[in-house]
Amino acid sequence: MTKHTDSILLKSLIQLVLLMVNILSVYVLFRGHQLPGGGFIAGLMTGISFILLGLAKGWEALGKNLPVDPMRLATTGVALALGSGLLPLLVGGEFLTQYNWHWEHFPMLGELHLGTPLLFDTGVFLLVSGMTVKLVTVLVRSSSGLAPFTAEEERYYASILEEPIEDKARRREESDGL
Amino acid sequence: MPGLAELNHFPAALLLGVIVLPVLFVPALLLFGNRLGRYTGLLALLAPLASTVWLTCLLREHWSSGTVGTAAIEWVPFLGINLALVLDGISIFYGYVILGVGFLVCGYATFYFSRDEKNMGPFFAYLMFFMTAMLGAVFADNLFSLFIFWELTGVASFLLIGFSYEKRTSQLGARRALLITFSTGLCLLAGFILLGQQAGTFVLSRIAAQGGTVLEGSGWLAPVMLTLIMLGAFGKSAQFPFQFWLPGAMAAPTPVSAYLHSATMVKLGVFLSARMFPIFRDLDLWLPLVAGVGFATMLLGAFLAFRSHDLKEILAYSTVSQLGFLIGFYGLGGSEGVRFDLLHIASHVFYKGSLFMVAGIVDHAAGTRDLRFLGGLGRRLPLTAVAALLGAASLASIPLTTGFISKELALAGLGDLWAEKGALALFFYAAVLLSAVMTVAFALRLFVGAFTGKEPADNPFHPPGFWVQLPPLALAGAALGFGVFPGVLGEWLDHFKVPGLQDSASGEVALWHGINRELLLSAAAIALGILLHGWARKREWHWNRVLSLQRLDRVFDRSVDTLGYVAKRITLALRADWPPAYLPIVIFTLLAFVLSAFVVHRAEFGEFVNTERLFDPWRSLVAVMVCIGLFGVLTLRRWTAQLVALSVSGFFLTFYFVLYKAPDLAMTQILVESASVVLVLVLIARFSTGSRAGTRFEFRWNAKQVTRALLSLGMGGMATLLVVFAELNRHPDPMGYHMLALSQPLAEGTNAVNTILVDFRAFDTMGEITVLLIATLAGMGLMVHYKREKGTDRSAFAAPGFLLGKRPERKGKSE
Repeated sequence: MTKHTDSILLKSLIQLVLLMVNILSVYVLFRGHQLPGGGFIAGLMTGISFILLGLAKGWEALGKNLPVDPMRLATTGVALALGSGLLPLLVGGEFLTQYNWHWEHFPMLGELHLGTPLLFDTGVFLLVSGMTVKLVTVLVRSSSGLAPFTAEEERYYASILEEPIEDKARRREESDGL
Repeated sequence: MPGLAELNHFPAALLLGVIVLPVLFVPALLLFGNRLGRYTGLLALLAPLASTVWLTCLLREHWSSGTVGTAAIEWVPFLGINLALVLDGISIFYGYVILGVGFLVCGYATFYFSRDEKNMGPFFAYLMFFMTAMLGAVFADNLFSLFIFWELTGVASFLLIGFSYEKRTSQLGARRALLITFSTGLCLLAGFILLGQQAGTFVLSRIAAQGGTVLEGSGWLAPVMLTLIMLGAFGKSAQFPFQFWLPGAMAAPTPVSAYLHSATMVKLGVFLSARMFPIFRDLDLWLPLVAGVGFATMLLGAFLAFRSHDLKEILAYSTVSQLGFLIGFYGLGGSEGVRFDLLHIASHVFYKGSLFMVAGIVDHAAGTRDLRFLGGLGRRLPLTAVAALLGAASLASIPLTTGFISKELALAGLGDLWAEKGALALFFYAAVLLSAVMTVAFALRLFVGAFTGKEPADNPFHPPGFWVQLPPLALAGAALGFGVFPGVLGEWLDHFKVPGLQDSASGEVALWHGINRELLLSAAAIALGILLHGWARKREWHWNRVLSLQRLDRVFDRSVDTLGYVAKRITLALRADWPPAYLPIVIFTLLAFVLSAFVVHRAEFGEFVNTERLFDPWRSLVAVMVCIGLFGVLTLRRWTAQLVALSVSGFFLTFYFVLYKAPDLAMTQILVESASVVLVLVLIARFSTGSRAGTRFEFRWNAKQVTRALLSLGMGGMATLLVVFAELNRHPDPMGYHMLALSQPLAEGTNAVNTILVDFRAFDTMGEITVLLIATLAGMGLMVHYKREKGTDRSAFAAPGFLLGKRPERKGKSE
């Protein structure tokens, strides 16, 4: 896989596409409780839109220009879902009880339906989008000769003392006499 | 035993306070640990002190001798799993032992460590964690809460043994202790579950109140229960054949050995025997199992202690021996109950605690714990020598110590047993006497070897502080004081009698029972012990050769390593890194199971009544398109082309979902398909251009190809069969319609797929997203490994990545 595409069309349109896909994905997320959609689908849409961005602009650039580490986004998502589940405990409900509010005539917006399911679904959305972007970015970088992680990230995901997996296996096998 | 109605209930939170108080100190200990250094111990000291005061106040208010108070905090009420707590004699006795010794050990540890010792915060935090777990275990009234606290003490023990984690002995010792106590702990859990099922309740005091009647009608299950439960107790208390983990645990700092591995945690097996006594004592297996193993361990432990030469190892084996006696003692208990069991335990706590602390001081002062290189410390450490003398005297059951009282009473009890059981008692008698002789010998050696005689020439003496010598002196003083005035101790312990366990007729505890058989036997044991010591001293080779029995730990370590080796062998044999090798096995197993189920149940298979449902023009068209895509996968040559063909099938599958009016599924399918195509393309890019070009698929009539073809056809046939079967045997009232109907009224959403995901089955979703996160993190960990390897010696593209197995080139050739 090349570092970035040669297609001028994709390069020039990517920002517009990114914007539109993400507006759509937020819309899909919001309407999920009533109409086809939801956090999982919206998360995949956002994830794929960023893969597209990576293909157009190059993966090196993508890593530098993301404002938040996608992994952090994914963790926030799980925390958000868990938090929305723990919230009812404060008011005496059971874990993961969902509450909904409905307004027939909300000022400016008209009919509005909101509830804690949206909070939960947003958690799913963040997790799925973050996870997709991170996994694909790391895999693509490793297979196209780029460093998949920054030095800081390496400290997050592995202990300093750990050695490369194949060296370790080889050493073990030698010591076992295999 | 008071009936259930008489149980005196009290606020559970009060007792819970006693239990959790130590662990509440943990944040403060961790916070100030670095600044305070070893003096963190003085802060930790407050925890057992506060807990003791709290417990005493609680007892004044809610407890008077004999009555049982229980309290429960609900946890999983429908399974009977609750945090139930009990206040009865035995739990209170153990509670005071834990807190009292805990107090002394915190004080001792403060001055035991050197001033610049690191990690004092975590050390005392582990100690507090242990204290809470141990208190929880003895006050637990529910089998499950007892089990959980039981295992938590094992975790604490693991952390404390491994405190000097860079030392190899610590690592091995901690691993042994954890594996032994946890694997036997699982037996305990199984035994508890069986017992609870049989009794219909998991509340320990209720089971104990019914006594042996609980087991009525359980048949062969009762001995199984007892064996499983006692396996747990034997593992925890280092009884035969698990005796070797305790000396290994001596790699822990000495305060830990004194506290966990002699005074408290290892007594859990004794505690459990006491708890199980009212339930199982009438079982035929009770005496041979509990008393048999206990007394055999007593003998073995004394023998091993006699043959050891490391101070702490001697004490460890002597603890094993004494624990054997304490457990075996319950095994001998008659129908009226046992007598003086708490006195034996208290006596052991006094002298063993003080001797362990002495061993720690000697280790620090002389730089070694090996008796062969010690001597003459008595002049340099008079205070410690006094503590050691008293401790050793009590260990050897010399008159005027609690050890003597305990031995007298034990022999008297055995004498009664002789009248009852006859020849069987002979074995127990012999075990007690023989181990008494050996105990006298090694107790004498302990004191004489370390504190008298010549000082070794190159002795790097380093004087210990004054304060560190106080706690052992306090415990040794108790052994002497209560030995001179045993009536005080006896009267005090009488308060803790539990009906059903202890004999209600209280026996007099006195120093002088007149000249009787017990006294003569004691005197003979002491005399023989001194002779044995003198004889062994002359022939020192006894202590220079390690017994093969003491090497059981090596055998254990070897077998643990072998387990890893075997697992690796199996993994390699199954070729876990090479799907073409193991997939046929998986598929074959699946086919065998499912198809045989169809053959067995063919009568229920029904007939093809809904044939019109199976043939629909639109769906058939889509199915054909999916098949065309798959045909492309088989016939195309380049990997990329195959991938495109595969995703064509995937996209047609989306159309199938549309035909079923499932827009959510269709959308998910499209998006997942897109994302995975990108992912696989990325992975394909890692292979060399040559292998990516692929080879044309050609069918040959050889065994391999035919087997694979048959397996593939079988898999397809099985899937078809399952679909048809499901279609013909529709559930009359499918769940889905309820979800559809309830979606709007209950979850206030019209999209049933979404309401199921975020509301009805939100807990599942919660679990799934957590798993996704964990999987991603694990993937990141693997990728970090890969990157480093690439950075060192191999180029980016030629490296056979671990992600697709190690043999990509061969895959290209053979397929």
